[in-house]
Order: sequence, then C-alpha cells, then structure tokens
Amino acid sequence: MSPVPAALLLAGVAAAALLADRTISVAVMVAVLLAVCSRAPRRRRWPYLLGTLTGAAMLFVFSPLFARYGGIVYWDGPSVPVIGRLDITSEELSYALFQSLRFAAVGLAFAAYALLLDHDRLLMAGGRLRRSVLAIALATRLVPTLERDAAGFVEALRGRGVAVEGVRGHARLVSPLVAGSLERSLNLAESMEARGFGRPGRTRAPSPPWTAWDRLAIVGAVAIVVAGALWL
Amino acid sequence: MALARVDGVTYTYPGRERPALTDATFEVHPGELVCLLGASGSGKSTLMRALAGLVPHFHGGRFAGRVDVAGRDTRTIKPSDLAGTVASVFQDPEDQVVFTGVEHEVAFGLENIGVPPVEIHERAVEALDAMGAAHLAGRRTQDLSAGELQRVCVGSALALRPDLLLLDEPTSQLDPDAAEGLLDLLTALGCAVVISEQRPALPLERCDRVVFLEHGRVVIDATQAEGLCWLEETRPAFVAHESVHVGSDGDGATVCSVHSASHAYGDRIVRVPDIELRRGEIVALTGPNGSGKTTLAKLAAGLLEPVTGRVDRVGRASYLSQDPGRYVVAERVEEEVGLGVGGDLARARRALAAVDLDGYADRHPRDLSSGERERLGLASVLVTEPDLLVLDEPTRGVDPERKLVLAALLRSQAGSRATLVVTHDLVFAADVADRVVSVEPLREPVRA
Repeated sequence: MSPVPAALLLAGVAAAALLADRTISVAVMVAVLLAVCSRAPRRRRWPYLLGTLTGAAMLFVFSPLFARYGGIVYWDGPSVPVIGRLDITSEELSYALFQSLRFAAVGLAFAAYALLLDHDRLLMAGGRLRRSVLAIALATRLVPTLERDAAGFVEALRGRGVAVEGVRGHARLVSPLVAGSLERSLNLAESMEARGFGRPGRTRAPSPPWTAWDRLAIVGAVAIVVAGALWL
Repeated sequence: MALARVDGVTYTYPGRERPALTDATFEVHPGELVCLLGASGSGKSTLMRALAGLVPHFHGGRFAGRVDVAGRDTRTIKPSDLAGTVASVFQDPEDQVVFTGVEHEVAFGLENIGVPPVEIHERAVEALDAMGAAHLAGRRTQDLSAGELQRVCVGSALALRPDLLLLDEPTSQLDPDAAEGLLDLLTALGCAVVISEQRPALPLERCDRVVFLEHGRVVIDATQAEGLCWLEETRPAFVAHESVHVGSDGDGATVCSVHSASHAYGDRIVRVPDIELRRGEIVALTGPNGSGKTTLAKLAAGLLEPVTGRVDRVGRASYLSQDPGRYVVAERVEEEVGLGVGGDLARARRALAAVDLDGYADRHPRDLSSGERERLGLASVLVTEPDLLVLDEPTRGVDPERKLVLAALLRSQAGSRATLVVTHDLVFAADVADRVVSVEPLREPVRA
C-alpha cells in the first residue's frame, strides 16, 4: 500500500479511537493495530510496543486512584494529603480501561506509522509541504538513530569494563546522547546544503500510481472516523 | 583554464583563534585527480569545504581571499547552488544520510538540482551500480554496514555527474579491494577529483597532482612524480616504507581462543573463523566488508555471546569500538579515561601521556579534534591494562605519521598482553602485527 493512504488510514483509526464511546470498539481497534505492528521485525518493534503498552498499563493502574466517582466500591484506601482518599470503584475501573485502550490505540497507530511505512515516499508525496514533512521524517528517524547511538555508548563503556546498569547508569547517557545528536544534526545539515537542498527548481522522482487498495484505504479512513463519531 | 581556483584563502572558524587555512593557493584543472594530503587537523577538510562553498556560507567565521569554481565566486553563490557542479562526500557516512531507503537517498541530490523526473531512477541505479552497490538499492540505510553506507554516499555524489568531486576519506570504511575499485572508477570518471586520504598509497599511485597541507598552508603543489619525491624526502610515512618490527617479550601463553563460534543477529547467524591470541603477540585481522571481523573481535572481547562453539579467555579484555570519538561520556578528558579504572585520575593522566594528550586533561572531550578523540579512545582502553586488547579500526581518520606512532606504542606494550587489531589498513597491519589473519566471508543466513 502507498504510504499516504496508509498514513491516513492509521490517522483515521487513531481519530476513531478518540471519538468512539464503547470500550469493545476501541479494544478491537487495539487488537487490529497490534496485529499490524507484529509484522515489523521483532528487534525494531519492541521499544514501541513496550512504551505504548507500559504507558497504557500505568494509565489503567493509576487513574482510578485519582478519580472520584462511582458507587460500587471495590477498595477503600487511606486518605493521602493533597490527593485525598484513595479508593477504587467499578466505574473508575471501567473508565480507566477505556482511556488506557484509547491511549494504546493512538500509540500503536504511531508505532505502525514509524515501523511499517515508507517515510521516504511519504516525504516525496509532501509536495509543497516538503520541508515540514522532511522535518517529520527526520524526527521519526531520530528514534532508531538514538537507539543505535545508545547501544554504541553501552558497548563502548562495556569495552572498558564499565557496566551500564539501572536507571542511574542509563540516565548518565542522556547528556552525551543529546550532545551527539546535536553534532550529527549539524553534519547532516551541512551535507544537505552541499547536496542542493533548498535550491529552487527541484523535481521529484515519479511515484508509483495508486492502486485500488490505496483508494480503498482513503475511503476506509473517512468511514472509520465517521463510524467512530456516530456508532462505535 | 582552471576548473577551481583557491587564491590566498585564510580562514578561521568561529570561536577559534588560529586559522584553519593560511594563504592557501592552488588550482584544480578539468579531469585531473588531485591527492590532498596532510596530518590530522592540517586543514584538508576545510579546504574541501571552501571548494564546496560551505566555508564560509555554512560555517561562518573569518574568510579572506577568493575561491572560484567553474567561473563562479563562492563568496557570492550559495553552496546549494554549486551542488551538481560540485559534489562532496564527507568523512562520516553515517552523518550524511537523509532518507531511509537507499535509492531515495541517492535520488535526493538529483531531485534538488532539478534533474528531470524520468531520469532520476536511471541515474540513481547507474551510480549505485558503478559503486558495486546496485544490490543495496532496496535496502534501508540504517541496516547497512559502514562500508556499504560509504558506497551509497559516494554513489549519491557520482549520480550528480559533477565537474568537481570532493572526497574526504572516501575509503576509510572500505576493504582494500573495494578501495582499489573506487580509485579505478575515479580515474575513469573524467571529472576533476580532489581526494583526501589517510591511506594514501592508492590515490598516490593514480593521481595527477599532489597537494600537501601543513598547519593550513599549502607546502607543496606538484606533479605526481615530484610529489612522491618530496614525500619520500620529507614525509616518508605517507609513502611506502619498510616495516621495522621490534620483538616483544611476552610469555606466549594463550590469552584467548575462539573455536567454531558463531553469533546470531536476530534471524541472521554469522560464523567466524577460529583464532588463538597469545600474550606478547599482535594479530591483525583483515578481510572484506561484511566478513565477520567485528563479530569475531566482539566475541573475543566478550561483548557478544556465541550461539555455537566456544570462546575461552584469561584475564581482563578491553575493546575499542569503531569511531570511539563519537562515544564520549564524561565532561573532562581525564574523567573519560578514568571511567575504566574506577575514576583513578593518576592512571588516567599516565594513559593520556602515552598517547600524547598530556595537557588535555581538563578539556571537554567534544572540544578535541577528530584525531585527538581517536587517541582519547585509545587511552581509555590502554588505561585498563588489559590481558587482551581488541582494537576495531583504530586508524580510521588517523594520519600516516600518527599511525607509525600508534604502531610503535602498541609494539612497546605488546609483551604485557595479547592484542587483536581489526583493520582495512594493510600498511598499518604490516607495521604493527606479528601475524595477519585474513577473514573470508562465512556468513550463513539462517532463519531463527
């Protein structure tokens, strides 16, 4: 499938998840998106899946503690300064599940975009928005680049017998990672300038024509947003 | 008539006091191959940037003199407008890649300079083919090895069919066969080429002229024959020389042995040859890109675990990764070196002195030049006084004179350890090693 219809379809699913009112509808979307993400290589997909699912799980666990509604109380906890009384009700759990599924759906839609789409072709389809789309494409590439740099730092330190363990060990890599990214971005900017970026009169390599699946994806993207707003 | 003329250029980077170029003057004529040589930090890359118009437009700083390329004054024309007439390949291929797909990456420059859409695919494929990289067209750039990425970057420049091709260490990641293939291709291209190399043997064989820079000044601009004579007399490290080995006094005990080992990268399994490393011995590991040299080195150092076979090791192993200057963690040079010895700054300073970086202890590691950072990386592993020292491409970006110093340093300490050096640099291998092991590709793709 061409990247533009695919990106629109993923955006449509994310929007539908935010518009839908039923937990089961959003759960189905999450299941479908999980299946889509599982097509990516295991090595690349795990950071995205871990991040999304951990975030959703934390939302499910913590949001009932801060909410204040519902009549069927499952647990009545102590009173905590500033926050107030901790309790968990049936309604709070239902709402937390719904919100965490929404979070997971949006996160997985982004994961599918980052993992499976051809960002180059998406960029080329940007037309007049090319500069903005290029910025997005480069930002998307930042994640795997940082991931690779972090692995390089860990390896360089292990090569000297320095173990990188725990939150503190990894936290000290943040500053050198940022500094390395800044160096890399300067070099990249220089290279792009030398390769004529920003010069007037640029052309575009021809893209393959859209297929029936691509057109169907566009229709599907609109349909799922409408369905999400009205029926799901 | 000259294609490019550098006339009395003096240039100082912003925030620096010493100029990177001082009254530099030379010409490039159509179709000639110019070999640009000099020590690390002598101004070679800056001169290339001046020819591409990036100095001063991109970098700022103080610029005096004049650079004309194809009749255009670079002070009045932007680097992006020179693209196509000039094409540049910079030192580090990883920092030049914009796109995820190889073919799109090669097409990027063609689109920018306005090549008609119907020609873009054909020219991209043709350039990749010329670099022996046509099979990479459908691959993702982030999945390529450093050598493969370097071919793609050179292919991206060739696709522009420039009048002037500027190559800053284009063979630093290539094995000798690939490097020779690239040099053969450059001599057949027909466009003017300025090539800066720290493995100068191949370009010196094929160039028309030799330009040597010292502290930003052009000290010789001569024909190939005159240049070679001058180098032999004044800078012999840059030309072929006899390797002089001093025997080491190690006990010859086996420190590490790798037997029938392989490692799995996801669903790809790389088998590596057997090797035995003994105390007092320096072994150079050579072979083509993708033959598993780095995998073998990491297995030996204990950074990777074998999925088959066994790796036996005695004592401490230290490993210096490729491009160590990128992976600096601490805020001060001596702290960076001290990381491997629990923050022992006295030992760190001794290690810094061994690589001629005494006096740099309080500097920030990222303020050092690329050559200095390479030496910092070396000090960071030497300080650990390992039983097994593994160095992966330690001469990348290091000038020939500094390589001789490095070889002498490693030889002087060889008796206390076993040393494995992974390198494409056969001259350095001959200078440093007691034994050269050539690795042939043994890769066996297996679905996990």
